[in-house]
Amino acid sequence: MAVTTTTEETRRLIAAPETRQRRLRWGNVGWSVARWIALGLGLVITLVPTLWLVTTSFKHEVDYLAYPPRLIPNSWTLDGYRVLFERNELGHFFMNSVVVTLSSTALSVLIGSMAAYGLSRAKLPFKLNGILAFWMLLTRMYPAIVTAIPYFLIMRELQWLDTRRALVFTYTAFNLPFVVWLMIGFFEELPPELERAAMVDGCNAWQRFWKIVLPLSAPALVATAILSAVLAWNEFLFAVMLTRIEAKTLPVVMSGFITDKGMLWDQMTALGVITVLPVLVFALAVQRYLVRGLTLGAVKE
Amino acid sequence: MASVLFDHVTKRYGKVEAVRDLTLEIADGQFMTLVGPSGCGKSTTLNMLAGLEEVTEGEIYIDGQPVSGLLPGERDIAMVFQSYALYPHMSVRDNLAFALKVRGMPKNVIAERVQRAAKMLGIEELLDRKPRQLSGGQRQRVALGRALVREPRIFLLDEPLSNLDAKLRVQMRAELKLLFDRLETTVVYVTHDQAEAMTMSDRVAIFDRGVLQQVGTPLELYNQPVNIFVAGFLGSPPMNFLDAQVSDTARGAALVGDGFSVPLTQPHAHLSRGQRVTIGIRPEDIEIVPGGDGIQTTISLVEPMGSATILHAPVGGKLVAIETEKTTPLRTGDSVTLIFPADRIHVFDPATGVALRGDQQRAAA
Repeated sequence: MAVTTTTEETRRLIAAPETRQRRLRWGNVGWSVARWIALGLGLVITLVPTLWLVTTSFKHEVDYLAYPPRLIPNSWTLDGYRVLFERNELGHFFMNSVVVTLSSTALSVLIGSMAAYGLSRAKLPFKLNGILAFWMLLTRMYPAIVTAIPYFLIMRELQWLDTRRALVFTYTAFNLPFVVWLMIGFFEELPPELERAAMVDGCNAWQRFWKIVLPLSAPALVATAILSAVLAWNEFLFAVMLTRIEAKTLPVVMSGFITDKGMLWDQMTALGVITVLPVLVFALAVQRYLVRGLTLGAVKE
Repeated sequence: MASVLFDHVTKRYGKVEAVRDLTLEIADGQFMTLVGPSGCGKSTTLNMLAGLEEVTEGEIYIDGQPVSGLLPGERDIAMVFQSYALYPHMSVRDNLAFALKVRGMPKNVIAERVQRAAKMLGIEELLDRKPRQLSGGQRQRVALGRALVREPRIFLLDEPLSNLDAKLRVQMRAELKLLFDRLETTVVYVTHDQAEAMTMSDRVAIFDRGVLQQVGTPLELYNQPVNIFVAGFLGSPPMNFLDAQVSDTARGAALVGDGFSVPLTQPHAHLSRGQRVTIGIRPEDIEIVPGGDGIQTTISLVEPMGSATILHAPVGGKLVAIETEKTTPLRTGDSVTLIFPADRIHVFDPATGVALRGDQQRAAA
């Protein structure tokens, strides 16, 4: 009797983990199916509009005006691109976007990192450091349209309307708070002893910033520069307010295909693809720095 | 080469006093160690001398000149940091040369000084590496080298050995001592390690809670501590402390405590009858005798250290550490008889912790 009980118990003990394992395995399958569905949905939501943009740029009029709409056209064409390049000074507008983006990014990273260094190191009375930093952030808390009219008036007075420098100036002002906040966060993570060592070595604040702090901040600078470049490249509101013909950037040109005779979908989407491509290539090229820069300071070495 | 004087220096952070009314003189060419537990004010003192922290009250003089208005870079001091603080983006060579470049020294002088320092520290073959390619001990040497090339008036070292493993630490301790003996430059050395303080220094200043407790040669501090804190801080294992009272016994006046009695002799003969005191005795000063007169107790713990053996045994209600030779046959549970030699006893006021010595009291009076 005792023997049978023991055998039974033993058998149950041996069997139990097996069933548990099987149940777990089924659970795992359920979970992974759910995960794939969630991931798939996410991909559809993010990628289908882009896909639509790309396919539309290769469609004939019949296809892009078809109802119900067709994602994949019956026949492919490069007409949209051909007309786009023939009828527009695309090179000029492309250069506008490039020059405005690069200059405003360079300026905002330069000025912003210096401001951030000052705010993170200076010992101002009345907690002024925090107040100033917060004040800067405040400028990003209201919609950009709020300042659009003042900016328009300022630029008109300066006779800067429809110039690249108007956009460079505006984008720099708009990206500064963002650069300052990212860089303050980074500078505060730098080990203070490095700068103390530099002080003993005879460096003033200016030398400490340029010779010690900035070289060590390269990953953060790159990440910050990428993000502000993307913001400037894609900006539409101020570009459309402050430019008319000469200084138009790509997003403004794109909006120009909404005409009184209708939407020129093929040309608009073709330009959309052309606008997205450089950013995409750039992002792929620097993604290593981007991830590193954004997670800097999260884990101690 | 320079002398340093802290003249009634106080440092406050808001309402917290990090250093209180510090007066301390460091002679030219001296190796002075500031030692104490963490938060005792020793690092703040060093940082004030470096110019990295401002003095709240009082003044610091280097070679008789007040230095409060001078930036760290203008004080002609070099500092070695606990974390080494090597510039990660520069090669070892550039790390060494950096301070000289900032000062605009001619290139050939810089190269020569870097070479000399590298040779002195045996890091010549590391000059082209980056700090992250170095081991802890090598980084430590580079940090030292960065101070050496400066040829400063004063070297400041802030716990330079505490990031090294135990074996390397002892080795570097000896190397540092040799190095600074050769350089004959003033050194101010901060550590929490009493062994470093004892072995390396010409003089030691012991801090506790922002207050300087005692300054002297290592042996002065070890043999004549002015209070319980100093007595307990120096020495490993630390001094034993027991409560006692001055009483008359059949053999004359004695310090009588729970389970022991020690004859009252010089320099404590001035103590009055009935006075309550705390006595201190170092583990190595306790004698173990074969039997007869003494403190009867039983060994409760044996700790073989290799070079010596530490026994723990209760006296009264307290466990007392006794240092004995490594070959001792004694084991846990063995009965022993202990003697506290009267001339080895330190006597302290139990309320204030101050040492009660006839000669000092006379000197004070």
